[in-house]
Amino acid sequence: MTEKQETLPAQKLPKGEFRSIFWRSFSLLGSFNFQRMQGLAFLYAMLPSLKRIYRDDPEGLKGAMHRHVETFNMTLAPSPIVMGTSVAMEERFKTDPDFDSSAINAVKVSLMGPLSGIGDTFFWGIFRILACSIAVGFAQQGNFLAPFLLLFVFNIPNFLTRWYGLKFGYQQGQGIMRAMGASGKMQLFTFCAGIVGAMSMGSMIALWVKIKSPLKFTISHNKFVLQHYLDQIMPALLPLACTLGILVLLKKRVPVMWIIGIVIAVGAVLGGFHIISGGKA
Amino acid sequence: MTLTQAILVGLVAALTHLDGGWLGEAKFREPIVTGFLVGLIFGDVPHGLMIGATMQLLWMGVTGVGPTPKLDIGTGGTIGAAVALSTGTGAKDAIIFAVPVALLLQLVNTLMTSAFSAFMPYVDKKIDELKTGVIQGIHYLCGLIAALLYFGITFIGMYFGTPVIKAVVNGMPGWVEAALNGVAALLPALGFAMLLDVILTKKLIPFLILGFIPAAFVGHDLSMLGITAVAVALALIIYNLYSDLQSKNVAPQPALAGSADEWED
Repeated sequence: MTEKQETLPAQKLPKGEFRSIFWRSFSLLGSFNFQRMQGLAFLYAMLPSLKRIYRDDPEGLKGAMHRHVETFNMTLAPSPIVMGTSVAMEERFKTDPDFDSSAINAVKVSLMGPLSGIGDTFFWGIFRILACSIAVGFAQQGNFLAPFLLLFVFNIPNFLTRWYGLKFGYQQGQGIMRAMGASGKMQLFTFCAGIVGAMSMGSMIALWVKIKSPLKFTISHNKFVLQHYLDQIMPALLPLACTLGILVLLKKRVPVMWIIGIVIAVGAVLGGFHIISGGKA
Repeated sequence: MTLTQAILVGLVAALTHLDGGWLGEAKFREPIVTGFLVGLIFGDVPHGLMIGATMQLLWMGVTGVGPTPKLDIGTGGTIGAAVALSTGTGAKDAIIFAVPVALLLQLVNTLMTSAFSAFMPYVDKKIDELKTGVIQGIHYLCGLIAALLYFGITFIGMYFGTPVIKAVVNGMPGWVEAALNGVAALLPALGFAMLLDVILTKKLIPFLILGFIPAAFVGHDLSMLGITAVAVALALIIYNLYSDLQSKNVAPQPALAGSADEWED
């Protein structure tokens, strides 16, 4: 592998682009849907960078947009870290033919889970409780400062995490890409990112796809609860079976529109007859 | 309640929904904030704040963790404060009043979130046509629809009173909600399957199993952080192993991420 611009100093995102992604990151739940969750919003945040990176490459832009509209779901505040990393990876992908684009999605998936866990703890567990409990005392006395205190205490860490997260994610992403490219281990890196991505996907299917069967009836005074039997085979069997079933359809290149139609029809019929439901975790 | 007041309360409810969608959960939905805004509308900020504080303590433990928040504290708090201030009742009575509206909004939210899925194939098509303006437009449109729905329902509930809302909720056949629930349960499987379609190669299947089994059996006691840590450890082992082999020239780096992905049964 030849030395390609590896000696260049670490770059910064153009100022306007950085601000654009920063502000757009706030709308991550703006078009939330059950199919791709925050996918469209993630693409929306990435668009300024993608347009710059692929300004002379319409086919590349198409591919990149398809990558970032895929399912994405995480706690909001740390999400700019993933956006920064994704921009760095896209920049690399544009210039390095050894870099497999599936690694971009694998890295995104790998970051989603742990960053959400940490983010939930800090933003829902600590900052929100802190902001609310400080404000409650003022509110009980009817002091108009209460809402402003609440918003300030919560949003200072909220804004700082987003701003420095975006910076940090971009720098880290660039650093890793540079190191991998220099050592000629891009393929190996791609595979290892795939390992973390695939394992995360495995657990996300078990934890985040919630399909249960409320089906129960009584045969000669014996209560029959389908979910109990399914759980005895394996917990989260229905989420796994449904996801893999749809994956097989996708791999057989059944048009996505058909698959969506099938999913909605099957979901409505099975749901309507109380055979499946979105069970609680 | 006057027409203007009902409209303004509807706007506050829309703001609490946009708080999650567009303002990055900046916490405009917290009852203290909505109590303050509703207090401004009714010209009684101190009481609005006190009612807000009561509801805040009641709902301190409600979080939005996970794809579907269980209780809509934004609209619930807004309506609760508005009812309490306009009728002079306490916060706890106000919450009872807000329940049917919150119930309806929960259902509307499920319906909306399912319906937004229908935009996704259209977005895919527009990506192929490189219509970035349209793609952004759809993102904005989702926000507009959500804001209008939350504004509209809250306004109707406020202006015509909750009997109207109650009638709608009670008049809905049970199977509608069940069918919607079924679709909402299945759609995430489609999203994850599409993501797997991008990431999963045949050589990665063992790792999918390794991630699934512990999470399926242990459940949420095993955090994503824990699983990812194990995954990173495994990835590092394999990375180091191949790096060592490579540096000793024992074996050339295999085509691990090969594009020949013959994933057929």
